[in-house]
Amino acid sequence: MSKGRILVVDDEDIVRTSCSRTLVPEGYEVTLVKNGFDGLALLEQGPIDLVLTDLKMPEIDGIEILRRVKEKWPQVEVIIITGYQTVDTAVKAIKLGAFDYLEKPFTPDGLIASVAKAFAHKKTA
Amino acid sequence: MDMLVKKSLHSLTGKLLLTIGTLMIVGSTIFWYFLFRHQEKELLENSVKYAYSFVDYIKKSTHYGMITAQSVLIQQTIEAIGSSEGVLSVRIFDCTGKIAYSSKSDEAGVRMKKDSPSCVRCHGTGLSPSDKPVVSFIRNSENKRVLNIMHPIYNERACYTASCHFHSRDQKMLGLVEANVSLAHLDKSIQQQGIAITMYILIFLFVISIALCTILWNLVSTPVSLLKQGMERVAGGDLDYTLDIRTKDEMGDLARAFNAMTSDLKKTKVELVEWGNTLEKKVQEKTQAIHMAQAQLIHSEKLASLGRMAAGVAHEINSPLTGIVTFGHLLLKRFPPGTQEREDVEVIIEQANRCSNIIKGLLGFARASAAEKAPTNVNDVLDRSLNIVRNKADFFNIKLITEFDESLHRVKADASQLQQVFTNMIINAADAVEGKGTITVISKNITDEGQPVAEIEFRDTGTGISPENIEKIFEPFFTTKPVGKGTGLGLAVSHGIIQDHGGKLLVNSKMGEGTSFFVQLPAYREEV
Ligand SMILES: Nc1ncnc2c1ncn2[C@@H]1O[C@H](COP(=O)(O)OP(=O)(O)OP(=O)(O)O)[C@@H](O)[C@H]1O
Ligand SMILES: [Mg+2]
Repeated sequence: MSKGRILVVDDEDIVRTSCSRTLVPEGYEVTLVKNGFDGLALLEQGPIDLVLTDLKMPEIDGIEILRRVKEKWPQVEVIIITGYQTVDTAVKAIKLGAFDYLEKPFTPDGLIASVAKAFAHKKTA
Repeated sequence: MDMLVKKSLHSLTGKLLLTIGTLMIVGSTIFWYFLFRHQEKELLENSVKYAYSFVDYIKKSTHYGMITAQSVLIQQTIEAIGSSEGVLSVRIFDCTGKIAYSSKSDEAGVRMKKDSPSCVRCHGTGLSPSDKPVVSFIRNSENKRVLNIMHPIYNERACYTASCHFHSRDQKMLGLVEANVSLAHLDKSIQQQGIAITMYILIFLFVISIALCTILWNLVSTPVSLLKQGMERVAGGDLDYTLDIRTKDEMGDLARAFNAMTSDLKKTKVELVEWGNTLEKKVQEKTQAIHMAQAQLIHSEKLASLGRMAAGVAHEINSPLTGIVTFGHLLLKRFPPGTQEREDVEVIIEQANRCSNIIKGLLGFARASAAEKAPTNVNDVLDRSLNIVRNKADFFNIKLITEFDESLHRVKADASQLQQVFTNMIINAADAVEGKGTITVISKNITDEGQPVAEIEFRDTGTGISPENIEKIFEPFFTTKPVGKGTGLGLAVSHGIIQDHGGKLLVNSKMGEGTSFFVQLPAYREEV
């Protein structure tokens, strides 16, 4: 029995593998996609607990994915990963309901802690 | 010499003198001519009158001899008269043309031919004689003028009643008296008078010309040449020159007008020069301002492009860094503590973190180029910055003193950027005091070049900055801190931000005693 299902959306291969290599040993079920279309398609198919998404991507960016997820599946938590943070996008993301904000490069411990907090939050909610 | 004459002829005085001189010479000549003529005529008329009376005198002196028919007496009388000075000859003709008596005794009794010059004078070419006296001027053999008078002797009662009965009663003319009187004297006096008149006129002309020359010289030539000299001086740029002609005539007026013109010219020139000077100064000021604005623009432009680049780099580099960090940690778990492999992997992770820090510093530029300015209370921003650092472990042994001016000017600023600058200053100070010492933050109002300014001072009791370093501290990537600790971007970014706010970032440091950084921001003024 897994601790939860996590969808990672990032156009960078190394970021995706970093997430899976960090989170799978922790007992999460991790699905990796490299763009927003695939991510949203997967969300349609099956239940997902947490979405980890990069902010800056071609076509559908992190903010767009966050908005769609919060529209259709409000119970799904979203953690935004960003290359560099600006006040604008941070405020926007939090307003749109993102649970947390992770700055690259993140450490495995930082990622695990943030994900754990999200699931804990989900449970109490 | 030729040139001089030509020049003086062309000068105003020369022309005037020439004209007046010519007119005077012509006038005097005419005057001279008529005067001379008149004199001569008068003298001749006088001599004619004299000739008549002379003849009358001859008649009267011989009358007695005639009546009494004493021919010897008559001859003696004629000879006596003829010997007088100036009398050339005296003759008495009878009615047949015979010389009855003559001052030259040898002529008596000679009959003149009808065509002799004496006869022709009355008889002309015909034979009927004129019974009037005839006066004529002739020239004698010495080419001297001679007055010749022929006077008829009319018959009268005493003649035909005389006892000699020589003349009958019906005779009209009894004979003639001819006298030749020399005019040499008269001619001499005419000549002398002519010379005298000529002399007078010449002297008169000379005096007049001298007087005229002097007057013209003083009235025209001198002032005109002074005026010319003045004009040359003024044209040459000497505007202090004044003409010293004080006469009340037109020349004086001209000089006064000239002086007025010169002083006007001078005034205008002075104004012009002044204007030029201030213009130059203004141009300099403007040029400087433009240069500064340009430098500022270039700086902001640099900052902005550096920011854009930093953002791009951050985005690109941070993903691989994530990989390095993550896989580093995964590896770390495989090696037990104390092994060489574990230490090596730790170095990898450490260096990856260093890269990440450099990129965060670069991102400061990206943020510096996107400011959102609003009226800001600087004291509040200082409080926030101090609160962030105060809880850090590095600050446990550092004394933080604040001296805020509660009436500090508000400034138009981007609060988050200001906070970044202030945090930077405080962390730099903390690094300088090396864990223990005092950091004092002071805010106060000052005036810079007459403008109100809010100044914030960050004073520390740290190491100070060496003179050779102080020039470089604002350069990006200049740091004296150990590798991994400082990126050398803090002051570069701060400087950029403060400049973008129209302010100044100044430093004052003494090695071994400490350093003060001053942030000066122009006070915000309500737009009216
Ligand atoms: N208060 C201070 N006292 C002494 N030296 C200072 C002080 N502030 C700055 N410096 C000197 O200026 C250099 C540049 O400072 P700057 O803030 O730009 O970079 P840094 O502090 O070295 O690195 P960073 O701020 O990017 O982490 C420092 O390395 C230090 O040598
Ligand atoms: Mg610094």
